[in-house]
Amino acid sequence: MTADESELRELRASVREFLEAKSPEEAVRKLMESEPRFDPAVWSQAADQLRLPGLAIPEEYGGDGFGLVELGVVLEEMGRALFCAPFFATVLLAAQALLASGDRDACARFLPGIASGRTTATLAVAEDHGSWDPAMVSARAVPDGDGGWTVRGRKCFVIDGTTADLILVVARTVAGPTLFVVERDATGLAAEPMETLDATRAMARLTFDAVPATLVGAEGAGGRIMAKVLDIASVGLAAEQAGGARRCLETSADYARVRHQFGRPIGSFQAVKHKCADMLVQVELAEASSREAARLADEGSPDFPVAAAVAHACCSRAYMTAAMENIQVHGGIGFTWEHPAHLYFRRAKSSQLLFGGPAVYHERLLDRLGI
Amino acid sequence: MESDDMRDFATEARRFLDAHVAKAPDRTAVTWGEGDDSMAYFSSLPPEEEREFVQRAREWQRIRHENGFGWITGPVEYGGRGLTPVHDLLYDAIESEYDVADTGVLSVIGLGMIGPTILAHAQPHIRDRWLPAMYRGDAIACQLFSEPGAGSDLASVATRAVREDGGPSRSSEAESGGDWVLNGQKVWTSVAQHSQIGLALTRTNPDAPKHRGITAFLVPMDAPGVEVRPLRQMTGGADFNEVFLTDVRIPDDHRLGEVDGGWTVALTTLMNERATVGSEGVGPVGAALSPDHLSALMRATWTWDDRALRARLAELLVDVLATEHLNARALRKLRGGVAPGPEMSVSKLMYGQNLTRAAHFVSDVLGPRIIADTGQWGTYAWTELLLATPALRILGGTEEIMKNILAERVLGLPKEPVTAAAKEVRS
Repeated sequence: MTADESELRELRASVREFLEAKSPEEAVRKLMESEPRFDPAVWSQAADQLRLPGLAIPEEYGGDGFGLVELGVVLEEMGRALFCAPFFATVLLAAQALLASGDRDACARFLPGIASGRTTATLAVAEDHGSWDPAMVSARAVPDGDGGWTVRGRKCFVIDGTTADLILVVARTVAGPTLFVVERDATGLAAEPMETLDATRAMARLTFDAVPATLVGAEGAGGRIMAKVLDIASVGLAAEQAGGARRCLETSADYARVRHQFGRPIGSFQAVKHKCADMLVQVELAEASSREAARLADEGSPDFPVAAAVAHACCSRAYMTAAMENIQVHGGIGFTWEHPAHLYFRRAKSSQLLFGGPAVYHERLLDRLGI
Repeated sequence: MESDDMRDFATEARRFLDAHVAKAPDRTAVTWGEGDDSMAYFSSLPPEEEREFVQRAREWQRIRHENGFGWITGPVEYGGRGLTPVHDLLYDAIESEYDVADTGVLSVIGLGMIGPTILAHAQPHIRDRWLPAMYRGDAIACQLFSEPGAGSDLASVATRAVREDGGPSRSSEAESGGDWVLNGQKVWTSVAQHSQIGLALTRTNPDAPKHRGITAFLVPMDAPGVEVRPLRQMTGGADFNEVFLTDVRIPDDHRLGEVDGGWTVALTTLMNERATVGSEGVGPVGAALSPDHLSALMRATWTWDDRALRARLAELLVDVLATEHLNARALRKLRGGVAPGPEMSVSKLMYGQNLTRAAHFVSDVLGPRIIADTGQWGTYAWTELLLATPALRILGGTEEIMKNILAERVLGLPKEPVTAAAKEVRS
């Protein structure tokens, strides 16, 4: 299904209204210091009232069957509000990994729970080195002799790793990197929260000590699945980043209009004005690249992988620039704990490096361009 | 998302173009060492070729005009189509896919900016005399605005216009009267050497605040006392001119707008300065922004595995491709009949920056081959673009002025307070 421009505007307005009511700055600050790092009541409302978790899950699996364009609108708004919720890990990582696996049984078994918001999930790929390249995975899976599998190893930087009901995990078999699913209460699974630069996004270290697991998709298909998931997840992340960057720009422009020094609004000084104009340029490029990539994904265009790499790089830089300059425009007040600017700075840096950072995404772009 | 009206218009435009011209060749695909390796941003042609170039431009404009695409936004009584600026932008975007003569010499200043100004402010017989001629491709117009002392601060123009029958004119005698005599110097005047008319901003009241002492005139470029001198720019070519006005006599009926009301006229002209969308990859410099061309260059110079250069190439391509996406989205808005927002200004800023970065990136890849001509294909030719890039951050509004406009009009930041000195005309 595809929403037209006016439906997208309506979607944005209803998500913004919801988040302004349920995820104001006070709520974000409270959740940042709580376990779990989200409010289960608000998560249920997001699922029941707005049907957000199932928005882009196919109708045959209990979702509403929209695409990345619609999901992008929701993610821009979530990024803008720094919404603390298991949305990204569940919808952009786990659900997309299930769909990319082509495993209809696994999809039929797990996606309806995800679509309804009853099940939260995540995807565990990176290990101590932090790389999302499946070729770097050293966790191992062996057949348990009974039709199932047993996973051994350690995973790091697992988003929502202490709370997700379902953990999709990439482990190595004799056939290569392979996707498995593990349930939260499986024996031998231990999760330990990690301290994070961005406290609005929880991460955990997971230890798999002979954990029973179910194969998802074909054995050895982990590399192909991850390539697809990373394209989609980085476009989802790009939408979050574009939303956060737009918020930083608005905050800076608002402040530059009212803050007076030397008897004039600071926004009338060209040094400040040009900084804001530079932020605007970055934000416009970020929105264009993430929305265009989402559109190409939904059209099934062969240009999508290049566009995904462009959106990821462009939005990562735009958000980091906007978050840094937002503090600079605010001056001393922007450096205080009480001011929200640092929350965006933390999210911007954390998002930029989540999937490896510039060194990785620049090479990915050149690779997708055949250079 | 395309509106019916826009779709019909686009279909008609394509039918016209298909009947008259071929599709543009793809300059982004490259076979290293083959074809034209020119990287000229400015034309800088020898006089004979320049004349042919202008002739081809006039000819294509005539064909456009005969087929209803000569003046898309113009009123029907002057040979226009009476459609919206959105139709106009859409036509430009579609035409950029075709191999048509470059009509910039007529269209950028004359048809795009001066025509609408004449329409809005000139007397009826001036409109009748010049508008059909311009949009048929017969007359070329230039903009006599900038002066050595009036660049970004255009309202400080000092070229004097004095009414012949008695001292400096006052607003109270604004009714039609005797001839005016113009004296002064204009600079950075594109296409002056090809123009039949020029729109001049002059100072008629040096005692009034600077925005309120300006009067606009339409100057026949063959009038005695008008001297056009080519201005050689840093590329070595001469794409602009200086125009000296010495005792140039202009009848009062060639005045546009009120006496001392020329700033309003100038604003009409400047408001019509349009960015275009969808034409970024066109022309010889399209290669500079093409991933295929840049990667072919890195292979040819054995630098494709240099990690530092690869990282810089990736950073450059992120901006190039993101700008393309911005343009693609603006174009889709146009097709839906919606005027784009700040995308056009952002696109203009990025175009200059991307080409500048591309030229410097390529220079660093080429190393010594760009400081002296080895005769190797596709190497020293890049000096043409390299030397043109500083202009891209200045012409049509400096980067600094563009940023002021973005911050003030899009973000609502306050203007700089105007000091008393800034209101006055520097004598």
